[in-house]
Amino acid sequence: MNVTNLVRSGPRIVEFLDRMYPPDLAWSDDETRPFAPPLRLAAGVVAVTLQISLLGTALGVAVALLLGFLGAENLTPHWVHHPIKIVLALLRSIPVILLALLFVAAVGLGAFPGVLAIAIHSIGMLGKLFAEECESVSGGLWEAMDSSGANWLQKVRYAIWPQVAPQINSLTLFRLEMNIRDSAVLGLVGVAGLGLWIENYRRAFDYASVSTMVIVTMLVVLAVDQASFLIQRHLK
Amino acid sequence: MKKTLTMINIEYLEVSYGRKAPALSIDQLQIGRGEHVAVIGPSGAGKTTLLRSIKGYVRPSQGKIEVAGVNLWTARRREQRQISRRLGLIYQQFHLAPRLTVLQNVLCGTLGATSRWRSLLGCFSAEDLRIAWSAIREVGLQEQVHQRADTLSGGEQQRVAVARALAQQPSVIIADEPVSSLDPAWTEDVLKLIATVQSRHDVTLVMSLHQPHLARRFAERVLALRNGRLVFDGPPSALSDDRLEELYRGNNVISLDRAPNTTRSAEATPA
Repeated sequence: MNVTNLVRSGPRIVEFLDRMYPPDLAWSDDETRPFAPPLRLAAGVVAVTLQISLLGTALGVAVALLLGFLGAENLTPHWVHHPIKIVLALLRSIPVILLALLFVAAVGLGAFPGVLAIAIHSIGMLGKLFAEECESVSGGLWEAMDSSGANWLQKVRYAIWPQVAPQINSLTLFRLEMNIRDSAVLGLVGVAGLGLWIENYRRAFDYASVSTMVIVTMLVVLAVDQASFLIQRHLK
Repeated sequence: MKKTLTMINIEYLEVSYGRKAPALSIDQLQIGRGEHVAVIGPSGAGKTTLLRSIKGYVRPSQGKIEVAGVNLWTARRREQRQISRRLGLIYQQFHLAPRLTVLQNVLCGTLGATSRWRSLLGCFSAEDLRIAWSAIREVGLQEQVHQRADTLSGGEQQRVAVARALAQQPSVIIADEPVSSLDPAWTEDVLKLIATVQSRHDVTLVMSLHQPHLARRFAERVLALRNGRLVFDGPPSALSDDRLEELYRGNNVISLDRAPNTTRSAEATPA
């Protein structure tokens, strides 16, 4: 890395941007193209990306809830929450793209490895945050429920859940937002969706189509951003 | 009124935390069914420890505590659960679920008796609802029944806590400084309520109080603790100012001569 390199790459960047512009907005397919035009594919590809992130988040949240409650220091004995905390930390320590790479190798190409990667990553992230939410609930309330003879599940349901539910909702929504962004990238390692098509067009040197797909990705993320903002406001 | 049946039986009880001098050391203490007992003493005298050991939350290092003839530390799990859920607790800090309504909070008192799976879904039986409603009526919160607990005043929250304890259909109510975080008017109100509930249901009430004059006014029997030992056990009338002076000597926190002026009477307080 040196300055001359940087200066020399200037014109190349300009040339590259020139090849990306204008984005390919063609609708009709023709024989000369290696792939169908991006606008034709966009709807289906976006749908796959959304499916991966929704399903992955749903699976992740379900397991994260369980591990969150079991991993909270104030709800379970040391020998339960301690190992769970360690497992959650391990899950978090693997970058999602690496998880996807491993799952592609394990279960093959397509949407499924993406779902698994997103789910595993979400468990690690959300499990820790959920446990921390539970830990912030006053111990007195837990004891008061215990005093009425409630069992563990009842205590979780009535002492903990009402106090943490709003935060769990917004953490989940935030995670979904990030998962949609993440799942767009997973295409680079062979998971179906937006990223895969960006990669396909790039390999075919079809940069105009790449820029169309990048714009589509941006629009999707912005739309999700906005939707999540509206849902958050509605929940409050 | 003579109490014949023993509800709480304490023999040679000692509770220690760590290697320090025992926090509580009581040779003999019997509390009868339906008695209204106040526990007083300076901070750190062992009031809370006594109350929590009756509930079975503090393990005695020596001696035994029996509630309704059952030692919670040697009883079978099932029996222990059955006794323990009949011991209702009322706290200084109320410990209500702030985001739940009054009714939901009171229903929590029935959890020990209710079917597990249905209660997890938020379904309570008609019987549970009946118990909860009658408890709410008793504390006079019918109007606020669907209000969230955190919208209520401190005194009202403590009323909800009383109703929750009632929903346990308790044989003993253990109140740990139930009025220490309330202003004088609500103090009066809540203590009267607890006394009413106690006599109406003939439950045994063991209540620690920070202000001795309140114990003198409300209780039938006063226990005074100092340094973990029982230094007075008798009717409020026998608790002279000299005895109190002696009890609190060196803890010049509490004014013993008179009650603080109450600004409004409890009757004038909106329920």
